[in-house]
Amino acid sequence: MSLLEVTDLTAGYGGRDVLHGISMTVEKGDVVVVLGANGAGKTTTMRALAGLIGRRGSVTVDGRPLGRRPDEIVRQGISLVPQGRGTLDISVLDNLRVGAAVRKDQKGIAADIDRWCEVFPVLARRAHQKAGTLSGGEQQMLAVARALMSRPTLLLCDEPSLGLAPIVVQELFATLAEINRTDGTALLIVEQNAELAMDIANTVYLLEVGTIAAEGPVERFREDDTVRGAYLGY
Amino acid sequence: MELFVERLLAGLTNGSVYALLALALVVVYRATGTLNFAQGELALFTTFVAWWLTTLDAPVWIAIVAALIVGFVLGAAIERLLIRPVQRKNDMAVLIVALGLFTGLNSLAGLLWNSETKIMPSPFPNGLEDYVSVGGARLYGDALGVWGALIVLVVLMTLLFRRTRIGLHMRAVAANPESAALAGVRTSRILMIGWGLSGAIGALAGVLVTPLAPEQLGLTTMFHIFIAASAAALFGGLDSLQGAVVGGITIGVLEAMLSGYVSFIGGELQQTSALLIIVAILFIRPNGLFGTARTVRV
Repeated sequence: MSLLEVTDLTAGYGGRDVLHGISMTVEKGDVVVVLGANGAGKTTTMRALAGLIGRRGSVTVDGRPLGRRPDEIVRQGISLVPQGRGTLDISVLDNLRVGAAVRKDQKGIAADIDRWCEVFPVLARRAHQKAGTLSGGEQQMLAVARALMSRPTLLLCDEPSLGLAPIVVQELFATLAEINRTDGTALLIVEQNAELAMDIANTVYLLEVGTIAAEGPVERFREDDTVRGAYLGY
Repeated sequence: MELFVERLLAGLTNGSVYALLALALVVVYRATGTLNFAQGELALFTTFVAWWLTTLDAPVWIAIVAALIVGFVLGAAIERLLIRPVQRKNDMAVLIVALGLFTGLNSLAGLLWNSETKIMPSPFPNGLEDYVSVGGARLYGDALGVWGALIVLVVLMTLLFRRTRIGLHMRAVAANPESAALAGVRTSRILMIGWGLSGAIGALAGVLVTPLAPEQLGLTTMFHIFIAASAAALFGGLDSLQGAVVGGITIGVLEAMLSGYVSFIGGELQQTSALLIIVAILFIRPNGLFGTARTVRV
C-alpha cells in the first residue's frame, strides 16, 4: 500500500480550479519532486494536501482517506513546510513546542527539540529569540524543524529554496536527504530549483497548467532534453 | 494630602476595573484580531445572572463562580455559533455581529430582569467600618478586593500564556492562525477557549465593579466602563496584557485627578478628558504603549 495515493485531485481558489485532476503516488521513504513553472499549480497542490484549501478527488494515506482539517492531516503524519516558511513570531523554542501540538509524550518532545537543535545549531543559539529576528535561512531551518517535531511520515516542502543563498540551499537539501535516509521520512518537494531537488529525488512529476504532463524515475528526466531545456537550463 | 490620597485610591480602584475588562478585550483581540464590542454587555448580562442567583438566596461567592461559568459558556458559544460562521467570509462582519450582541444582550437583560436598578452584594467586607486608613484616606474592603482580583488574574493569565500548552497554542494562533493549524494546533478549539476565557474575565469584572459603581447594577452600568476599558486596551496596544493593566490604571487615575483638580472638568467632562489625553498619546505612539508594531508587506 502506498503512503500517499492521490487520484484525480482538483482544487483551486474562489470557485476557479487551478488543478484539473492530478494523480500521484508517494511510497514510504520516497523522495518525490514536483517540477513546474510559475502558476502550474505546485503550491495549490501542497495547500490542498495540507488541508488549507478545499479539494475534490480521492487522497488516501496508508489506505485511509486524508482528513479535511490541517490538524487532522498532521495527526495522520503529514506536515507541510509552507512557502515563505510561516514561522510564528514567538520564540524559536516555542515554535518547536507548537510543532509538537499533536503529541503528548513530553520526554520524546524534549528529546526531539534537543535533536533538531543539534542538527540545526543556529536554533540552539537563538532558542529564546523571536522567530521574526532570524534571517531567511535560519527561519527556513526553523520551519523544517517545526514540521519535523510532529514526527511526520511524509514531509511536504513548498519551495524550500525560495529567497535563500545558494550555499544555504545546498545545506538545507543535504539535511533533508539525511533525514530521509536516517528516519525514512518521505519527502514531497515542490521546487523551481530543479537541479538540487533532483539530486536527492527518486521520482519526478512534471506539472503543467494544473495537470501532470510527465512522471517517472529521476534518471529519465535528467536525460530528457525538453525537461533539461525547460527546468534545468542546460 | 488626604484628598489627594483619596482620589488616588479611587482612581486605582476604577482603573483596576477598567484593566480587568481590558484584559478580556486583549484576549479576544489576540485570538480574533477584533475589538469585541459586546464585551461590556456580556459582563453586564453575567452580573445580572449573579444578582439573580443571590435573590434566590445563593451565597454571593457561589453566585460569582456561577457567573464566571456562564460567562465562559456564553463567550465560547458566541464564538462557535455567531463569530466563526461570519468570520470565514468577512472580518468586518465580526464587528457587526459584536455590535448586534451589544444591543441584544442589553435588551435581553432588560427583558428578563426589567430596567430597575439592582443592588449586587459585594463578596468583600464593605460596611462603613470596613476600611483601613491610608495617609488619612479610607480604603474600603471591596476596593482592596478589586485590586487583589486584578493581581491574581494577571498572575494566572501570565502562567496560562507562558507555562501551559493551551496558552502556547493561544499565542501561536494569535501570531498566525494558518501556520498554527499547519503545526497541528486545533485552531477552532483554541479560538473558542479564548472567547470563553474573555467571557469569564468580563464576568469577574462585572460582579466586582457593580457593588462599587455609582449606578449599581442597571442596564447602563457597563457603558462607561466598557468605553474606558477599550481605551485602556488601545492605550496598552491591544495585544499586550501588561499594556491593558497599565492602560486601565492610567485612565482610572487620570479621570480621578482631572475631575478632582481641574474645576471646569468636574464630573461632567471626566470621561471625555481622560480619553482626550489618550488620543494625544496615541498620536505619538500609534501602536499604544506596549503594542506590537505590525509590519505589512506590500
